[in-house]
Amino acid sequence: MAYGSNTGLWSWLTTVDHKRIGTLYLFTALTFFMMGGFEAELIRAQLQHPNGRLLGAEVYNQMFTMHGTTMVFLAIMPLSAAFFNFLIPLQIGARDVAFPRLNAFSYWVYLFGGIFMNLSWFVGQAPNGGWFGYAPLTTMAYSPLLNIDFWVLGLQILGVSSLAAAFNFITTIINMRAPGMNLMRMPMFTWMSFVVQFLLVLAFPVITIALVFLQFDRFFGTNFYTIAAGADPLLWQHLFWIFGHPEVYILILPAFGLVSEVLPTFSRKPLFGYPVMVYSGMLIAFLGFGVWAHHMFAVGMGPIADTMFSLATMLIAIPTGVKIFNWIFTMWGGNINFTVSMKFAIALVGLFTIGGISGVMHASPTADLQQTDSYFIVAHFHYVLFGGSMMGIFAGIYYYFPKFSGRMLSEKIGNWHFWLSFVGMNLTFFPMHFSGLAGMPRRIYQYDANQGWDTYNAMSSYGAYLLGFATLFLVYNMLKSWHGGAVAGNDPWGAPSLEWSIPSPPPDYNFAEIPRVSSRYPLWDVKSPELTTDVPHTREGEKRIDVDAAGQHVGGGKAIGNPAGASSGASRPTHVERNHKTAEELGIPMPYPTIKPLFVALFMVTMFSGMLLIHKDKLGLALAVIITSAMLMTGFLYAWLLSPLEPEHH
Amino acid sequence: MPFPTRPRVPVRAALTALLLLAAVAACSGAAPNSIFHRHSDFNREIDVLWKLLIGLGTAVFIFVEGLLIVTLVKFRKREGQAEPEHVHGNTTLEILWTIIPAVILIVISIPTIRSIFNTQARASADALQVEVIGHQWWWEFKYPQYGVVTANELYLPIGRKVNFTLHTNDVLHSFWIPQLGGKRDLISNRTNYLWFTPDSVGSAAFNGFCAEYCGASHANMRFRTFTVTPAEFAEWTVHQAGAAVGTTVATATVATPTLATPADSNRPKHVPGGGKGDSAQVAMNAPAVTTPATAPAATPAGFTGYPISRVATSNVIPTTPLPAEIAFTDPYGNPARGATLFAQGQGGCIGCHAIKGVPSAMGNIGPNLTHVGSRLTLAAGLYAMDAKHLARWIKNAPVMKPGVIMPTLGVGQYNPVTKSKMTVGLDDQQIADIVAYLLTLK
Repeated sequence: MAYGSNTGLWSWLTTVDHKRIGTLYLFTALTFFMMGGFEAELIRAQLQHPNGRLLGAEVYNQMFTMHGTTMVFLAIMPLSAAFFNFLIPLQIGARDVAFPRLNAFSYWVYLFGGIFMNLSWFVGQAPNGGWFGYAPLTTMAYSPLLNIDFWVLGLQILGVSSLAAAFNFITTIINMRAPGMNLMRMPMFTWMSFVVQFLLVLAFPVITIALVFLQFDRFFGTNFYTIAAGADPLLWQHLFWIFGHPEVYILILPAFGLVSEVLPTFSRKPLFGYPVMVYSGMLIAFLGFGVWAHHMFAVGMGPIADTMFSLATMLIAIPTGVKIFNWIFTMWGGNINFTVSMKFAIALVGLFTIGGISGVMHASPTADLQQTDSYFIVAHFHYVLFGGSMMGIFAGIYYYFPKFSGRMLSEKIGNWHFWLSFVGMNLTFFPMHFSGLAGMPRRIYQYDANQGWDTYNAMSSYGAYLLGFATLFLVYNMLKSWHGGAVAGNDPWGAPSLEWSIPSPPPDYNFAEIPRVSSRYPLWDVKSPELTTDVPHTREGEKRIDVDAAGQHVGGGKAIGNPAGASSGASRPTHVERNHKTAEELGIPMPYPTIKPLFVALFMVTMFSGMLLIHKDKLGLALAVIITSAMLMTGFLYAWLLSPLEPEHH
Repeated sequence: MPFPTRPRVPVRAALTALLLLAAVAACSGAAPNSIFHRHSDFNREIDVLWKLLIGLGTAVFIFVEGLLIVTLVKFRKREGQAEPEHVHGNTTLEILWTIIPAVILIVISIPTIRSIFNTQARASADALQVEVIGHQWWWEFKYPQYGVVTANELYLPIGRKVNFTLHTNDVLHSFWIPQLGGKRDLISNRTNYLWFTPDSVGSAAFNGFCAEYCGASHANMRFRTFTVTPAEFAEWTVHQAGAAVGTTVATATVATPTLATPADSNRPKHVPGGGKGDSAQVAMNAPAVTTPATAPAATPAGFTGYPISRVATSNVIPTTPLPAEIAFTDPYGNPARGATLFAQGQGGCIGCHAIKGVPSAMGNIGPNLTHVGSRLTLAAGLYAMDAKHLARWIKNAPVMKPGVIMPTLGVGQYNPVTKSKMTVGLDDQQIADIVAYLLTLK
């Protein structure tokens, strides 16, 4: 098999290039983000007035379930994955991830899993048990149709994708860092990603077990959650939240990593307190496993458990607060350039703080009994997930789009996107604090008039429309800039890390020569050495060694020519440089493109979907689909494993 | 820098917007279900925490956002500015902003822990015991000390501690009266407890909600709580524990669909032509209705139900609009005929509903109807309890409340469960009679 071409549908289906897979993740996840957003718009339209009549109870319940499930599993996690894929190898100076074909497999499983779950709309039986899927409502006794089957099977499928990706990135970060890139020199995004991969590896098996129990209950008549057989529904709740709370940090830490890249660049200052930022990220992740039952203060665990989970939850506020202050002090004394990316990053700092403060309010169990399952909680976690995760991801999109595409996003359109999002976001979610405190429960498809909730709900709905409108600016901006935006060059922002030393978009091999690193800010060492005098460096006696991206010592901090031949960001290029030397010319072995991971993923998903036929009373057909798919999946898996990854090394 | 840098201060604008929003929100009218009404010892305990949390939360908010804004203004990029100083950390500062939040959290955690143990201690033995049973999607309330079983309307005496024992008949629910305290979940195969003393309210009516997602009509699983004087409560329990009274008004006829306001419709209208002969007929054909004809009082003595005239806030009066598709012709219901129909099992009411004093009505799937006419709301707080709503409810409940177990009963009605028209069932006259009967069950 020869190298595939770089264009055309086939090249995308067979790609194992982490950058192209990252791009696929980005656009797929944005598509699901739009779908989840559309579901949110319908929810808000239904709730705009008391006794709304737009959606019925059943459709509304499917809508809020799919909104939550889509945003968590199909939008925010894969948006983070887009950045993991694209950035981690670039930031650590590697040519690809450790397992490029496994990486492709992860993406295709995610895509097919997302499609599978959304196919449920077409049979009118979309999941309707909430994204949290509390038993026994999700058992056959109370949900006999296919709704929950789609949800259980869909989440199992997506779990495979997340776990495969997590092992891949852990291996990549541990084994494939460029020389000199010790752990405490990794860019903060890579650090937070590293932490998140461990969260995935430790949290997803728990939800997998919970889901396997539910799947067996539903399909094979086991009794893990069967009330009539004496099951305890709290089993599900504990398992779900042991996964579910770390999941919150899986959603937010990548965004923390992204703003930790953006804030230093546009403040022209190194990240304040780098080691503490690393430790606090790890501490948040570690403590995140010990606080799950704060989602369950109303279930009656007793005073001892309530106290322990309350104190553990409050502890998390400390490392989180440290991060907020360190970000502010990164900007303090800096030279703040308010690009759109920077505005989104600053918005994260400001808005996540609000979500953090209300989070401490829930940590007090007795007070939480008046908050849990009310709109106050809805306000809180949207400040965390929209004000935090999405603002951070938007910051990352504006910051890294030039590296993805070679083109700049329009700052003008971006400003529209930012300001409308910022106003819309606060108009949507801030009034929810009030509707919650005014006694409005969550997950209700209608509410009566005269409850004192009308104004807040109308505000939330108008805010949501504004937010939806704002997002169109992002779509327009990306479509417009993908081919017609200003040419970015290697380093349009004057950034400190390795990914900015190579052309935009990077050649398939990333680095013509693997760089050697002597500090946390290798590119600043070269371009603006005065910014990094205070940062630890590899030293030769008294002399600091600056190393350029090509691996050459440049001692005095003078930039030299770029390895792949493109010009540096100092003088703006006029066209996107794509005629780099090929990997073959440079003698770099590159992985072969292959379609096999796609087919393994496809047949894995058809294998799972065969289960649905069991509940359609077509056992024979179900077995035929499952066994055929399993055989095809195994066949393609063998073909994959028995074919070489790349040409033999010379 | 390649990009024009107009100094902007996003967070200052944000803060202004938030404050404006808060101001608008605070002035946007009453919040009748607000958790800040401190009408029980439980809610006052919570309020102490809230004051602390909101106070400290606001202080932290102002400090952090203020610091952020100062930073953004002070250090915005200016023309011809030198590169910033290369500070990459400061141990003293970092220790400081680790310790200060820790101190704040200790300040919060002490009253928090005290409140956990206070509110979760065992209720004293002399407390009023109320058993709460959650059903998809209605509430059953039992008073074992008084032999009372009722649904969707909770009566509590002022100043007496009440201990709720919480069960569910099916999936998870959560019991929540925001004005009287925090919520507690109803967990299958488990028993939960919650207690408080409604005290500072006087006689009042409150809304209660199901706060745990429980399926299709989770939004429609509401209830009402009435706090009454101890004397009224005593009269109420005696009356509720007794058998159905109401057949003594069997001579009355009710203009079924025309009554709009709950106040009116609670009282059957006397219409000329509703003959006494019907009354005799009831007595003969429906011996099951045992109330002796010698008890002439149409309205039982004493306090039998919270009168709508005492409802001071409109939030407890349901305004859910009726679905347009259930038409109802205009017959007059005859309660005596209705009693007969009911006791004979027409429409199958007795398969699910019980009426104390009617031996054939022993069903325990739906709400107990012994004193259904004394209730202010129908279908778990969704509609007003009046002839207009009740008639349509009996005719086609699944259209009025998605997912409800109560089947479509009106002949010719579209049954959303079987997705077909009913070829058998009750006609409008029969429904009107049953409605007239049920509304007499004070």
